Amino acid sequence: MPELNRFIAPALLWVCLFLTCWMPAIPAVQAEVAVPPLKKHVTDLTATLAASELAQLEQKLAAFEQAKGSQIAVLLVSTTQPETIEQYAMRVAEAWKLGRKGVDDGILLLIAKNDRALRIEVGYGLEGAVPDAKAKRIIAEIITPSFKQGHFVAGIDAGIDALIKLINGEPLPVSRVKPADDTQSNLDNFVSILIFSVILGRVLQVFLGRLIGSGVTGIGLGLVGWMIFSSVAIAMLIAIAAFILNLFLNASTGVYRGSRGWTGHDYRHGGFSGGGFGGGGGGFGGGGASGRW
Amino acid sequence: MRQMFSIAVIVCMLTLSGCGYNTLQETDEQIKASWAEVLNQYKRRADLVPNLVSTVKGFAAQEKDVLLGVTNARSKVGSVQATPELINDANAFSKFQQAQGELSSALSRLLMVTENYPELKSDANFRDLQAQLEGTENRITVARNRYIKAVQAYNIVVRSFPSNLTAMLFGYQTKPSFSVENEQEISSAPKVDFGTSEATGK
Repeated sequence: MPELNRFIAPALLWVCLFLTCWMPAIPAVQAEVAVPPLKKHVTDLTATLAASELAQLEQKLAAFEQAKGSQIAVLLVSTTQPETIEQYAMRVAEAWKLGRKGVDDGILLLIAKNDRALRIEVGYGLEGAVPDAKAKRIIAEIITPSFKQGHFVAGIDAGIDALIKLINGEPLPVSRVKPADDTQSNLDNFVSILIFSVILGRVLQVFLGRLIGSGVTGIGLGLVGWMIFSSVAIAMLIAIAAFILNLFLNASTGVYRGSRGWTGHDYRHGGFSGGGFGGGGGGFGGGGASGRW
Repeated sequence: MRQMFSIAVIVCMLTLSGCGYNTLQETDEQIKASWAEVLNQYKRRADLVPNLVSTVKGFAAQEKDVLLGVTNARSKVGSVQATPELINDANAFSKFQQAQGELSSALSRLLMVTENYPELKSDANFRDLQAQLEGTENRITVARNRYIKAVQAYNIVVRSFPSNLTAMLFGYQTKPSFSVENEQEISSAPKVDFGTSEATGK
């Protein structure tokens, strides 16, 4: 089929060009301490805390989250070098997204054991309840005296109690309703549009012929996508994807794989779903305090 | 064949027009938001200064030079119009940077001097102010980093093909970031001042 080949070559070329246009810039990776995955409220990478102590802290923080909604997480690492504890704490906070989305009520207590440094990183929404000066006092007057004597659990426990007390004094939204995850629902929309496109494409191809049918489907779905997402970029993506799909793919099983290839992102991050513990999408702006012992 | 060609042309036009304009708008807005945060945090620092100066004065009134240096740097920062439009004017931007950098070094000189006054250091009010200042400096660092990232994303869009054509067409130009010279100036200033403040402080 020379005619088809004549079409496929430019089409593939254009797909390549198109992809290069849309490829997001890949951030440079540096040799820094990796941020561990967030699985529990207390993450101890230094094996400082005994299992029973871990469980006790975990239970306290989980109960607090249940009652108040705010997320407090504790992370013990051996060192944050070559970064400062502030830089590392920020990276952890940005990765873990503690606190509810929009409420931003997360707190990270980071302890770098071998650096003999610690930091309380406070989410945007708690900067009023836990101002820098209060965070500093908790570190200087409550946590570090215990740490100096080697009593890590006692220091962490007392520090958490102080933080909980401060946060409890702050009126926060009570409901734990999971906020709608925009990217996830967008992805769902995207997939359903593509599935719809195959069906529509079939019908149109019967009436208009294979190529024109696909083209009309692509343009039509692009318009639909434009209205749904109000973004020309995504509309284009949908139009092209629908066009190519209809032209070259006959089995609808290929649809989902195709859409994965186009989006290429991992949209699942954080959230309360699934029963496990994860960040709720809270934001951090660098508030809090650091200290040494 | 002609139909195929016309469809190809339409598809090309659609994709090309989609390539860039919206991204430009998005990244431009991101810059504005992150720049507003930078200004916000710098303002927060400037607002802390009078309180800090008066507290230090209560314990270390004889450190006139250092206190005066902070007050002067503070008023200089206040005299630079910190508007959102600053990022479109490279000259004003560097002036703003310089003023903030001077305040940074004046403040670190002040904190260095306070080391010589144990009473001041144990004063609860001063400790709170110091914690606030540290927190604000950290917020400034975070805000600056986010601004740098936002500018980077925007500048990449403005410079790379084919969105650079769109940018050219609509008059979008690359925006200034916190340059390396500025970074060096800011980060090396305290070290230089350490020597001088030690000399004048004793």
